[in-house]
Amino acid sequence: MTASLSPRTLGIDAAPSAPGPIPFSRLVWVEWAKATDTRAARWLLALSALSTAGMVLVPVLVPTAFDQTHASYLRAAALALTIPLPVVAILMFTGEWSQRSILTTFTQEPRRIRVLNAKLAVSMVLGGGGAVFGGVVTAAGLVLAAASGRALQTDLTVGAVAGYLLFVLLNVLAAVALGGLLQSSAAAIAASFALPAAVAVLGTASTSVSDWIDMSTTWNRVLENDWVGHVPQISFSIVFWVAIPLAAGVVRTLRRDVG
Amino acid sequence: MITTTTLTKSYDETPVVRDVSLHCEPGTITGFLGANGAGKSTTMKMITGLVRPDRGTATVDGRPFVELPNPTRVVGMLLDASAMHPGRSGRATLTIAARLAGVPTRRVDHLLDLVGIADAADKRVGTYSLGMRQRLGVAQALVGEPPALILDEPANGLDPEGIAWMRTLLRDFADHGGTVLLSSHLLHEVQATADHLVVISGGAVVAAGRLDDLLASSTILVRSPDPCALAAALEVAGIDFVAGPGDALTVDVAGGRVTTEVLARVAREHQVLLTELRQSETNGLEQLFFSLTAAEAAPPQEVAA
Repeated sequence: MTASLSPRTLGIDAAPSAPGPIPFSRLVWVEWAKATDTRAARWLLALSALSTAGMVLVPVLVPTAFDQTHASYLRAAALALTIPLPVVAILMFTGEWSQRSILTTFTQEPRRIRVLNAKLAVSMVLGGGGAVFGGVVTAAGLVLAAASGRALQTDLTVGAVAGYLLFVLLNVLAAVALGGLLQSSAAAIAASFALPAAVAVLGTASTSVSDWIDMSTTWNRVLENDWVGHVPQISFSIVFWVAIPLAAGVVRTLRRDVG
Repeated sequence: MITTTTLTKSYDETPVVRDVSLHCEPGTITGFLGANGAGKSTTMKMITGLVRPDRGTATVDGRPFVELPNPTRVVGMLLDASAMHPGRSGRATLTIAARLAGVPTRRVDHLLDLVGIADAADKRVGTYSLGMRQRLGVAQALVGEPPALILDEPANGLDPEGIAWMRTLLRDFADHGGTVLLSSHLLHEVQATADHLVVISGGAVVAAGRLDDLLASSTILVRSPDPCALAAALEVAGIDFVAGPGDALTVDVAGGRVTTEVLARVAREHQVLLTELRQSETNGLEQLFFSLTAAEAAPPQEVAA
């Protein structure tokens, strides 16, 4: 070891300026870097992009299976965004517990709620970015379909686009809530697929389950911009899948001893 | 700089840390010595806000850790060198820490050089040996130019050259006015590095003070032709002792309260003849440490040097 230890290196003689609190923007920036700079995260993001493109190709290539409308193409993109993208969001909340780098994160910013908020903000940026990407892919798909001489119904309204964005964000949020609550990558990823599936199965037996809890029913209404008469059910399912687990996860994270 | 008062923590009714109070001054290295499982890591995690104490308080620079606006600028921590994302390079790991602390990222190259892993900076941490992770962990602890360091078993996994390097670095840090709290389960490691010592066993502090004091005079050997009379006299005087070696008695100095002079006076008062009265030759600290740790399941004797 050759480098010498100057006082400056050690920092002891540094001006005793009490550094201010860490700005929230810096927390968000660092969480963004952590969420996207690993090989696993990049693969998942690439997979997300690929599956979105692949999904939009389905109505192009198999016109009989899909309504040939703009909104229908956008919905295909939305469905593709509900699989790998939420996993990236889950890993953002669970990965640090599994790798135990949470030790460093929570000693650098001991106000854990700020770290959680930063992660939440990044997951919304990811979700929003995914939605925009899905929109671009949809547009490309529509151009492709038009070029092949197909006449598509232009039925996209502001409400439909808003419903699409909300649907993508809700799926990311539900994943985030599970990740924040379970704090284990394997458990949260498994639960994010198994729980909605289990509820969907229950929904076949009980219409109150399918109407109020089954996200494949209620959130599809959001995606289809079909709010009339369903607002209470949609709201309830958002509370059930997002608000409650998110709140429980926050409480658990704030109280948990980091071993 | 680092102070705890009666820190106490139990897991599932099992006490892990009991009433641990310690104080680390600027310019000193405090060794926190104890067998594996004695409560060192839990205490350090309570100091750094990762574990909530059942009772007691801890402050760094006069404030509870969780109230420090940007803790990395006040105290650098190496709590577990294996707790790093294996998929990130050493440089990326340090860059993230530097960004969060708000220090210029050009400091990262300097630190990589300082801890001697510049050549491996762009390799993934998953490919690092434990010794390299310890070095990276030290760099991470120094990233915010803190005046204090808390290091949990920093010598683990280091080769002899690495251990010597670490000692020099910490001594330098303390000589510049820095405060260091480091834990170890190896007595000789602490002896070679620290100038203050806190010994913990079964979650409780069993000895604390300047290393020189603890090493010098933890017991006094006293011998009399009439050991029974001597023992009776000591009991009357309220002085702790154990029988041996041979027919001599070994007296605890009780933190300096009991000296050879005190013992000579006790003997004179009780008219007990003494034939020998001197500081024990054996390393009192070593005796203490081994007597405390022998009861616990023998920890693996890791040879660190």
